[in-house]
Amino acid sequence: MRNTLRQVFRSGKFVVGFSIFMAMLLLVMIYPLFFKAPPLEIIGEGTFFPPGIYVSTLDAVNSETTYTLHLDDAAAKRLASRLSDEERLDLQEWLVLSGIPEEEIDISNTEELLSLWKSNYEPNQRFPGMTNARMRYFQRLDTSLSGLLSNEGVTISISNAETGDLEEVGSVSPSDYVNVKRVANVRVLPLGTDNFGRDVLTELVKAIQVSLQIGLVAGVIATFIGLIFGLVSGYIGGSTDDSIMFVTNLFTVIPSFVLLILISFSIGQEKRGAFTIAAVIGLTSWVWTARAVRAQVISLRNRDHVNLSKLSGHSIVHIILTDILPYVASYVIMALILQISSAILMEANLSILGLGPRTTEVPTLGLMMNWAMIYQAHILGKWWAYFPVIVSIALISFSLNLMNTGLDQVFNPTLRD
Amino acid sequence: MVTTIFAFILNFILPRLMPGDPVAAIVARYAQGMSNATGVQAIYEQYTELFGTNKPMIEQFFIYVRNVFRGDFGFSFSQYPRTVADVLQSSVWWTVCLQFPAIIVGWIIGNTLGALAAYLKKGFDKLLMPVSIFLSCLPAFGMAVVLLVIFAVNREWFPTSGGYGFDMVPNLSWKFLWSVIVHYQLPFWSIVLIAIGGQAIGMRSMAIYELNADYVKYSRFLGIRDRKIVGYVFRNAMLPQITGLALSIGTMVGGALVAEIIFSYPGLGSTILTAVMGGDYPLISATTLIVTIMVLLANFAIEIVYGLIDPRIKAAQAD
Amino acid sequence: MSKVMLEVNNLTTKYVTRFHENIYAVDHVSLKVEEGKSVGIAGESGCGKSTLALSLMGYYFPPLHYTSGEIIIDGQNISGMDPDKVRKSILGTEIAYIPQSAMNALNPTRKIIHFIQDVIRAHDPKATKEEIYEMAKERFDLLGLPEKVLNQFPVELSGGMKQRTVIAISVILCPKILIADEPSSALDVTSQKMVIKMLLDLMDHGIIKSMIFITHELPLLYNVTDDIMVMYAGQIVEKATAKEAVFDPIHPYSKGLMGSIIVPESGVRDAKLTAIPGVPPNLKNPPEGCHFAERCKYVQPQCTAQSIELRHLEGDRSYRCIFSEEHLREVYKND
Repeated sequence: MRNTLRQVFRSGKFVVGFSIFMAMLLLVMIYPLFFKAPPLEIIGEGTFFPPGIYVSTLDAVNSETTYTLHLDDAAAKRLASRLSDEERLDLQEWLVLSGIPEEEIDISNTEELLSLWKSNYEPNQRFPGMTNARMRYFQRLDTSLSGLLSNEGVTISISNAETGDLEEVGSVSPSDYVNVKRVANVRVLPLGTDNFGRDVLTELVKAIQVSLQIGLVAGVIATFIGLIFGLVSGYIGGSTDDSIMFVTNLFTVIPSFVLLILISFSIGQEKRGAFTIAAVIGLTSWVWTARAVRAQVISLRNRDHVNLSKLSGHSIVHIILTDILPYVASYVIMALILQISSAILMEANLSILGLGPRTTEVPTLGLMMNWAMIYQAHILGKWWAYFPVIVSIALISFSLNLMNTGLDQVFNPTLRD
Repeated sequence: MVTTIFAFILNFILPRLMPGDPVAAIVARYAQGMSNATGVQAIYEQYTELFGTNKPMIEQFFIYVRNVFRGDFGFSFSQYPRTVADVLQSSVWWTVCLQFPAIIVGWIIGNTLGALAAYLKKGFDKLLMPVSIFLSCLPAFGMAVVLLVIFAVNREWFPTSGGYGFDMVPNLSWKFLWSVIVHYQLPFWSIVLIAIGGQAIGMRSMAIYELNADYVKYSRFLGIRDRKIVGYVFRNAMLPQITGLALSIGTMVGGALVAEIIFSYPGLGSTILTAVMGGDYPLISATTLIVTIMVLLANFAIEIVYGLIDPRIKAAQAD
Repeated sequence: MSKVMLEVNNLTTKYVTRFHENIYAVDHVSLKVEEGKSVGIAGESGCGKSTLALSLMGYYFPPLHYTSGEIIIDGQNISGMDPDKVRKSILGTEIAYIPQSAMNALNPTRKIIHFIQDVIRAHDPKATKEEIYEMAKERFDLLGLPEKVLNQFPVELSGGMKQRTVIAISVILCPKILIADEPSSALDVTSQKMVIKMLLDLMDHGIIKSMIFITHELPLLYNVTDDIMVMYAGQIVEKATAKEAVFDPIHPYSKGLMGSIIVPESGVRDAKLTAIPGVPPNLKNPPEGCHFAERCKYVQPQCTAQSIELRHLEGDRSYRCIFSEEHLREVYKND
């Protein structure tokens, strides 16, 4: 046994798969210890906030300690961030129309562009072919730009409770900086928010956990049923075998996917908890394991050691447990891994159809995909809502499959390359 | 045969076990704004009569069977007054024309690549293996989303949804057909790529196994060219792959249905989605039945093909 | 002197492991097979007999590599020949091989006659299906195989039938040398007898000109072959006629081998049954000097001092030991 374990851990593929899987497990277990926020808590008002660090503006402005930093490119950066590419092209267009040759206009140099604009723009100048609306657009653009070039700061005022007037309470100069660590409210959202306004990362971690649990439960159920049926059917044979095979054939021909849909649908929304779904998946996917175990058992049952046990008068159960099971064990472990992997995928498929676990309590990977799909995240380009989910599913599946291939190579030396 | 009957029964019973009264939902929709309670009740009774939900289950079952044989699947609850048959008719063909060619193409390409990897070894093999393992682990909808984002959203080479342009009405013009073909690409390729991943790995193992078989050595000893031997090997390795295809077609179709949903492709996938969201059990029942029948037919076809290809079976039958 | 069909001079081939270690499975082996004669190669499992056979067929696929030596078949030196030429004109036509377990040697999805077509067409692309069928039928009749086998698949044949079919196919092009690698080991006694008879018939009918019979079953060799070579750990340790090898072996290993079998032949029947203790050496680190030294009853310090060469006696007899013939016979008498 120990020797087998040693071999297993020397197999490259197994180790890689195992590490990935363990990494995810650890993530799932450790993350909630540090970040205790409930995963389905809605924190964003609005949909699909992009990933980033969110700093409370009020706290930043009201921060007690402000630092003065003089950075060379601060002003340029400030300007650059306020002018979009489109606006730059518009400015260029106007300037060209006013007679300045295009080669002299460098739209990437914000300061130069703006000073050119400042010196040449005339609000009421009308060019042939320019509509009124366009002219007014340029006027608005000009107004919004006027603040950019100034080097003054901003004044903070609070309206007086009694008089309603604005009273100055402070000012912020362009060279004022705050240390983010000193700001009271900062929230890091590495994966932004989803369509409901929930923190995607926290949700994702919880979803991985739930999906893994569902996968595990379903996988164990499926493997267990498959094992029992396979053992009984393979060893006892005869009419028991025939009837079990009949049931198995039924399940094979009716795609398990279809069964899943039907059963899930008929259970109804209320009763569909995560565990129920896991049980349903487990109950419909045992077929493959049963068949494989049965084939193994059939080839084993005429071996000498089994005959010896029979002659010694051991009971059927005893024979199955001590003579046949150990040989099937390696196979069963691999089957378990594959069942877990496919169960997780099945759950994802179901959830996308809307037949997955209830949506109000826990997220699952499939559910997150479902929400992203329904709210069109993929078309809107909000990659953080679905891409990490897909990557997680792929990683889980990939790591499990790698582990399985690794185990396969250990148990079947002929497959080693 | 028995299986079909069993599938039938399951298809009927399971959706109806769902709690809640769908008729009430429909009535509520139609009776909006009506305050006359008796009036609402009358409508309710009328619809119940129409849908037959007031009769005992057994009777409903027989009516169902009789109707199915007539091609009448009843009315769709969520898309009333369309009949289920009508809804199905428009979606079935989209699905069949998309999925079956895709699965077959994927199978062929995947097996060829797997066989090549086993034969050429070294570089090609080392490249193909990780790629196929990864591809085979990606869920069907995952591939669909990835392709969608890369090719439809970012590059805008392909449309993001639908079976054909929104502004078009199905007709036989070139413009329409072209639009169909363009819309066909992404869903098609997502299914194909996933199929390739799975098949390549299997075929590679089979081919490696066969390439190391004794008869390869022996044939070499008798002076037979390598090329011919390789031909033997691949033909022998393919046989179990065909059987494998039959076994996995159920899951592949399942995954492909979900992929359809991602693209809002007007096939059975989207039909199931709308049916589920609308609590429409005649539609679900009928759709799953159709899917089951499709898979059964596919299995059957594959068995026939296998019998034709494996020379041993022909010989056994000839005796 | 009859024509020499096969001459092997100092053939050395090695296996290269994943860790780039060399295992010399065939170590400077030389042998001669004359027309009309059959030579048996005897030895324990793992002594290199099958590797020798593979090497003779030119089957050098990794991890097996050719190192040095010559293989001359009916005057043609094939050691340096272009592999494609070897495939076309040597394999199957000059030298043929019967694999150890014919169970798996045939392509399960091809009818026997189609396989024969492939074999013949690989050497003579113009042969027609009818010609091939006729020839196959004739040959099968000659060898006592029913014609209907031609139209069957391997799975429909019994073990013994498969082995005989494989033999028939191997010699379909009348090769000059036939290498039979444990042809009867996997069969029941009746089938064994039929296989041996078939091989001897082949020689008698002139279909093959000479034969190499590889086995670990020594009693068989006395009845089938003219000469016997004993191999141990990659080297030839004794060459003699069959009678000499079985009843009067010189090398301690051959003596031990013969002593460990139950032979109903008179003269050996009353001898005690002995076994050779120990196991063959690991060829990754071949021992200095005599490979058999650590298991030899009569070992002396000088046995492991330097490598041992073959000693030649009258006729074609030779053996590989540091001691003279007289010395060994003395020692044996004292046992």
